[in-house]
Amino acid sequence: MDDFNTLLQGSAKAHGHMCPGQVVGVRMAMLGCRLIGLDNPRELPQIKKLIVYVEIDRCATDAIAYVTGVKLGRRSLKFIDNGIMAATFVNLETGVAFRIVSTESSRDLAYLYTSSGCTDKRQQQIEGYINMPDEVLFRVKPVRVNVPIHDMPGPSRFKARCEACGAMVRDKKEVLLNDRILCRSCAYGSFYQELENEERRKIA
Amino acid sequence: MYKSQDAPQQNDGMTKIKIEEAIGTRLAHDITEIRPGEFKGPSFRRGHQVQEQDVCHLMRLGKRHLYVLDLKEGQVHEDDAVMELAEALAGPGVSFGNDPKEGKLQFTAAYDGLLKVNTRALVEFNLVPDVMCAAMHNNVPVTRGQKVAGTRAIPLVIKREALNRAVAIAQDQAPIFSIKTYHRKKIRLLITGSEVYDGLIEDRFEAIVKKKLTAFGASLLETVILPDDAERIAATVQQFSETDTDMIVTTGGMSVDPDDVTRHGIRQAGVDTLYYGSGVLPGAMFLVGELRGPKGRLPILGVPACALFHATTVLDLVLPRVLAGEEFDRNKIAELGHGGFCQNCVDGCRFPVCGFGRGS
Repeated sequence: MDDFNTLLQGSAKAHGHMCPGQVVGVRMAMLGCRLIGLDNPRELPQIKKLIVYVEIDRCATDAIAYVTGVKLGRRSLKFIDNGIMAATFVNLETGVAFRIVSTESSRDLAYLYTSSGCTDKRQQQIEGYINMPDEVLFRVKPVRVNVPIHDMPGPSRFKARCEACGAMVRDKKEVLLNDRILCRSCAYGSFYQELENEERRKIA
Repeated sequence: MYKSQDAPQQNDGMTKIKIEEAIGTRLAHDITEIRPGEFKGPSFRRGHQVQEQDVCHLMRLGKRHLYVLDLKEGQVHEDDAVMELAEALAGPGVSFGNDPKEGKLQFTAAYDGLLKVNTRALVEFNLVPDVMCAAMHNNVPVTRGQKVAGTRAIPLVIKREALNRAVAIAQDQAPIFSIKTYHRKKIRLLITGSEVYDGLIEDRFEAIVKKKLTAFGASLLETVILPDDAERIAATVQQFSETDTDMIVTTGGMSVDPDDVTRHGIRQAGVDTLYYGSGVLPGAMFLVGELRGPKGRLPILGVPACALFHATTVLDLVLPRVLAGEEFDRNKIAELGHGGFCQNCVDGCRFPVCGFGRGS
């Protein structure tokens, strides 16, 4: 694994800008990997040993993905939509897992860890988060994560066809509702609305 | 590599060697350790390369010999076998772990719902030698992530033929395990009783019904209190049935007194089916029926007054099943009789961790 500064610069470039979230994410990922015994997670063989659960879709998540190499498409990055700045690092080989939460108090303490005298809040946070000790920046807990078979990386083992819309549903995401196998959209409603014919014509 | 001077003993895909000669070899299976009251699980995992310092630990576990894996054609290791078994057994809403331990895998609920077990197929599966599967009871409400069943290959090495037979049984009669999600969400409640309507006593049913509904993700949209008047009861039931109601619950008026007219009112409302009386104590005077609503079948449950006194009644057995879309007929209600006798435990109700309702 590269050193912190190299990873931070790379992460900011990949994300699109430098921000406090990049610092938090890079540090969280480096700490998480160290805790679960991985020092080179972006490459084989370690790339297959790691799953990271992130609990927010904000800047730090991109930094975590950059440092660790986890990806949604590889199924090594899991998004749990909790709105919490936290990530859980799981070593699939050993079962060792740690959940790391970014402390809310670190936001107010950032200025204590700046030496440049900057007064800009965002710059204070970037600088402060770089210098802050782990125990101020994070809360860390060892945890157990039972990754179910349908969430594991590797070829899809499970397929079911939605009896309402005909879509093929992979990885046990189907629902048995009133004795019909349905996709989640047909069972619980979709996040989108179909357009009426007139609206479609306008677009066409 | 083992260096025994003695001829190694063959055992169905395993070769037995002395423990002091096992250093450097890889374990062919997990080795279980039991420390009473403290730990039970694998202390050494399959594939672990035996180190010098492991020998004492293994000897403390009572091991004097170890197996080296030596699979022949047509033989499958327990951990590989159990993955195939689990894949065949897990239907919609049922998943399992990715990491078999000691040849075992446990099934978990992928979402809240009603566990359905194909009990006949499960028996057939368990008749196949060298495999097993144990499950919670059919029709038990389960929550997301809850363990609901477990399966394993019994010997360390299983014959491919037996494994295929077990998998075929599970596939042919699929699903062996599935979870039905609760989809009836909008509930309307009709409380009957002139004593409540006239304000002589305070209603206690609404809170009880609401609590039981909430446990399965359903909501009480409306509560109406009526006197013991069959016509008014019929009119309200009809009115409910014309709205976006998923299920109607009535309480009270289910007994044999002349003023107990709720079931007559329900019948007058024009039900397609109506079954009065159940094989459950408490809850013999329970009613389950069906009307036609704008969304199709509209179940109606008539709860007798015993639900005010007993923490657990027939309602707790029928409610989750109806919310999950199950239909009740005379047979299904009669089947509740096996296991339908509540023990009224003097030290407090333990339901659902008891046998009440588990026979059907």
